[in-house]
Amino acid sequence: MANLLWLQGGACSGNTMSFLNAEEPSACDLVTDFGINVLWHPSLGMELGDNLQQMLRDCISGKIKLDIFVFEGTVVQAPDGTGEWNRFAGRPMKDWVRELSDVADFVVGLGDCATWGGIPATAPNPTDSVGLQFLKRDHGGFLGKGFTSKAGLPVINVPGCPCHPDWVTQILVGVATGHAGDLTLDEFQRPKTFFQSFTQTGCTRNMHFAYKVSATEFGQRKGCLFYDLGCRGPMTHSPCNRILWNRQSSKTRAGMPCMGCTEPEFPFFDLAPGTVFKTQTVMGVPKDLPEGVDKKGYVKLTGAAKAAAPEWAEQDIFVV
Amino acid sequence: MSEARVSSEQQAADKALLEHLESRLAGGLEPEIEPRAYSHEEVLEVVGRLQKLDSNDYDAKLVVGGFTLEPYGVGEDEQACDTCMYYQVHREFCELPELMLPVGPKWSCRLWRI
Repeated sequence: MANLLWLQGGACSGNTMSFLNAEEPSACDLVTDFGINVLWHPSLGMELGDNLQQMLRDCISGKIKLDIFVFEGTVVQAPDGTGEWNRFAGRPMKDWVRELSDVADFVVGLGDCATWGGIPATAPNPTDSVGLQFLKRDHGGFLGKGFTSKAGLPVINVPGCPCHPDWVTQILVGVATGHAGDLTLDEFQRPKTFFQSFTQTGCTRNMHFAYKVSATEFGQRKGCLFYDLGCRGPMTHSPCNRILWNRQSSKTRAGMPCMGCTEPEFPFFDLAPGTVFKTQTVMGVPKDLPEGVDKKGYVKLTGAAKAAAPEWAEQDIFVV
Repeated sequence: MSEARVSSEQQAADKALLEHLESRLAGGLEPEIEPRAYSHEEVLEVVGRLQKLDSNDYDAKLVVGGFTLEPYGVGEDEQACDTCMYYQVHREFCELPELMLPVGPKWSCRLWRI
């Protein structure tokens, strides 16, 4: 039996909603099949008031063993570093986060806000929000660069806005069943099993990407969304087209550009007008090219791809 | 959005229109070749003007789009239609929603994007 505690800071509850929709395994499976004891969760917890405070104190004192501490949302530090703008159970949430992180075997940051600040930490960041161990790309965050949980791992970051439900439950099962040692993390402490490949990996529009055929409207079935509509699939690490959403689809499959929500810079360009759903260019060339590709290579590739494009690539092949 | 296949009638219409547009450009029409629409604001400005045009006002589309019969730029910076993302190679057609007109592979316009 592994005790799991889930708290929520500067958050929209999106990751909670996602978690509750998990299927493989489901949130219930975690309890019935994988021996996870949910001590408390913002949407599932039974304890209130003094009872909840006592439970949290018992975790900190060691009376209750805390195996997995899950945090969703940013750590709010405003005003003036006090954290008073996000009080929980009688004190600033940030104080609970610090003390619970110190006693947990594993700390898991869920969603962009907990991992690197996400939308709340976007300039001007009025809540002085940070992620658990990152602020955007800067290593450190609330717990500090050198933080490791009692099991010796840094915060396990599962980003996304929200993160996919199965990324959450599969990581929790892995940790709870003693397989944390099998996890390899990337430079942003994301499990490589999910975040080594790209959103583009498995995208149904890859043939249009290859032949440089652009989608020009949302929802259009033909064409790649990277060239004009701001899709960040070729630069974003996520398995969105390998582990489908609702077992059915993904943003790009449905004709919506990937917004790169598993990367530290999300939301890109601080959401400045004209930067959302529009590929940013410098003299007509995308500002952000597919990972590992330079401008010279991209220009050459485009010329060759356009010249080689078969006629069908320019037509709508998804006819009824 | 393009049809599953371009009909022979459409191909003939495209060809006739292409020849007409070419003659207009060669015959002294003065497109706004510069400034190029490199920034987002510049793109919005040009596209906004195109959106106000009648869809059959091809002269105005050529002028506002800044079309030329030769590529703009040279070498690595060449901006020819046949490398633009909006260009359909086989139909020789620009499918930018605000333009939607037949163009030659070595033409160019100031909304070129790769």
